[in-house]
Amino acid sequence: MATSYGGYMGKVADIDLTTGTIREYPWSDEERRLFLGGKTMAAKIIGDHLAEIRGPLDETNLLVISTGPFTGTGAPSSSRFNVSAISPLTGILTSSNCGGNFGYYLKKAGYDALVIHGRSEKPVWLEIHNDQFTFHDGQSLWGMKTGHTQEALDEALAEQSGGKRRKNGKIVIGPAGENLVKYASIVSNERLAGRGGVGAVMGSKNLKAVTVSGNHTVPVHDKEKMDKLNRSWFKYLRSHPLTGDQLPRLGTAGLISSMQMKGQLSTKNYTYGQFDRFEKVNGETLAEEHNIVNKGCLTCPIKCARTVQVDGKAVKGPELETLGLLGGGILNDSMELILRWNYELDELGMDTITAANTLAWAMEANEKGLWNNGLAFGDTADISRVWEDTAYRRGIGDELAEGSRALSEKYGGKEFAIHSKGMELAAYEPRRAVGLGLGYAISNRGGCHLNGGYLVILEGLGLNVNQQTPHGKPDVTIIFQDLMEGTSSCGQCVFTTYGFFPPPLIHHPHAWYTKAFNAIVPVAGPVLRLLTMFPQVVCFHLPMIFNQSKALKYATGMKVTFGSFLKAGKRGYTLERLINTRLGISRKDDSLPKRLTDVPQVEGDEKTKVPLESMKDVYYRGRGWDKDGIPTEKTLKKLNLDHLAVSQMPAGSCMQEVNQHG
Amino acid sequence: MSYQITENCIGCTLCAKNCPTGAISGQLKERHAVDAGLCVDCGVCGKICPKGAVLDARGKTTVKVPKDQWKKPVIDPVLCAGCSVCVENCPKDCLEIEGPKFHGDIHTIARFVKGREKDCIGCGICGDVCPIEAIHF
Repeated sequence: MATSYGGYMGKVADIDLTTGTIREYPWSDEERRLFLGGKTMAAKIIGDHLAEIRGPLDETNLLVISTGPFTGTGAPSSSRFNVSAISPLTGILTSSNCGGNFGYYLKKAGYDALVIHGRSEKPVWLEIHNDQFTFHDGQSLWGMKTGHTQEALDEALAEQSGGKRRKNGKIVIGPAGENLVKYASIVSNERLAGRGGVGAVMGSKNLKAVTVSGNHTVPVHDKEKMDKLNRSWFKYLRSHPLTGDQLPRLGTAGLISSMQMKGQLSTKNYTYGQFDRFEKVNGETLAEEHNIVNKGCLTCPIKCARTVQVDGKAVKGPELETLGLLGGGILNDSMELILRWNYELDELGMDTITAANTLAWAMEANEKGLWNNGLAFGDTADISRVWEDTAYRRGIGDELAEGSRALSEKYGGKEFAIHSKGMELAAYEPRRAVGLGLGYAISNRGGCHLNGGYLVILEGLGLNVNQQTPHGKPDVTIIFQDLMEGTSSCGQCVFTTYGFFPPPLIHHPHAWYTKAFNAIVPVAGPVLRLLTMFPQVVCFHLPMIFNQSKALKYATGMKVTFGSFLKAGKRGYTLERLINTRLGISRKDDSLPKRLTDVPQVEGDEKTKVPLESMKDVYYRGRGWDKDGIPTEKTLKKLNLDHLAVSQMPAGSCMQEVNQHG
Repeated sequence: MSYQITENCIGCTLCAKNCPTGAISGQLKERHAVDAGLCVDCGVCGKICPKGAVLDARGKTTVKVPKDQWKKPVIDPVLCAGCSVCVENCPKDCLEIEGPKFHGDIHTIARFVKGREKDCIGCGICGDVCPIEAIHF
């Protein structure tokens, strides 16, 4: 179905693995305008087929791999792709975003997205070159780790091209995905669609890998203006203190020291917020002693990725979450071990966040006598074996492969199973960043810092808004979530939204204007709520700090303003919630473990816990959801989602099935 | 539209030997053909064909250009953000992102792979795909 918009290739492939048939998935310009691409587009597609999905690892589950309208247009940090499915870890909708180059090459092949369903009888890998789809026997790749698999695929493609290397993008799964570990990832180059177990969904379909290549170019509606905007946008990101200095210099791990200072570094399975040996496992140590060179995804000027050495081989270095959770989280102060584990988890194809949290839970459960598993905080001698056992589902690894929610339901210890809706939290300790605590709890895919609005950037990591006050936080959360949802749906990295904070605010933390900004946020709730309720009043583009709306206009030719961009983000977020609502999610599920809501981090200081329920009330009101957290029909009508109202959505039995068999 | 080979082709195989993506096939002394699915419009076939038997992507007959007159890219070291788009799109794999000049260097940019400058076919693709016009010829 061709498109009149720029930025899109105009085709979505519908791939049935059971029969091996390829069709074009119907996707109209109206849907492009409303749902843009990426995770929002995927949510719409999955929502439309929700009634048919019988379970996350059932052949009826959809694996939707989608790009956005920015991918391939030259916009900074825009090579990303999104993988969505019903998650085996959470039982609800999950979306996992990945860098690398797969998204870029998918568009070169002439497709905006792939909708994969069914199950192949035998392991296969799929080669897509322009309009040619070829299934290859995947038996020889089955069992291989992710690095070897990608090398083997390159060789196979070169063989077909008469020995000439064919440039391509690829996604693969490792042993964890094959063995249906609930938090298995999909790997593309050295980047991962890590969270939510999308690798297990791919494994359940017997699909080991997909390669994409082609020679199409992405049409841009107004190339001249887009190029001009890109030039100033690149320049702005490279001069911004967060995207031009901190992230390139220290990587995401650069935040560890700030988190330590603010009491936000999860330590001993979120018992404390500070780790006394943090300087051995922080971003500075990583940069000074281990980083060989900065690496970035294709099209990215920020280059936050690290390259380190493990056994003499240059491999990807750990991100903040991995460092925090495998450092202080399990009381480990060896950077070398974290580098090794990070590499091993990538090779096995497993999410480091959930793996680390599940390990920390198991250590605490052992300490408390709930589950005798031989694991102990600070005992790091045999952790590599634990990862292998988990990926191959051997011994206690078979149980660890289920994640901390399932384990706590079996053995007890729910109060310290650090997850929300079944997905484990990132390394930020929310008791000293209560806005992020709200974000973790209401996030559509479960305990995710980014999907939750990433308010910690205001609460100590970029600016210094009062960490403990709940005031104003729900409204800022809504705006940040909508901006990031829109940006992500365009196929762009959410780090570009850091530009939203004017550089002087970051450069001069003690200046009067920065202090004034910090003081205003908690009292700005009512004003911000007006913006979230009537985004269309901002019928212009914000200068420089938020280029996405203007870029979307130039790339596609759609009529876009900052307000309508915000509204598109809100539509995406609400749509995801709507699907989760259909799967049984409501207020009761927007929760955090009792450790974070009932036990103060600082003994005797009642403020150092997350006042979740009161923030949820304000948040639901701001979103236009009812008290139970369900979007009202009025809200849906405003967002052009009325045809998807809960009362009109197809009756799905998916959630019951998910809960029983997921 | 990809490049095409006309009936003027004498089957000298020069284009097939030089095509970086293996898109051209044909027997010696027989008319060659371009696989549109592999052609990346680099134009080396047109620049090298002794008989002017190649049509470019717009259907225009190409003209032979002596190798020493092929234009080479010059990368603006200030503008370049090291985003790798040129590296990924270079059909001859002539470009790379340089290593750090010192420990902690965060401004690494694109450059020719050492010793591969001579392999550059001056196709101009790197300049076309650069999102910030940091490459000139």
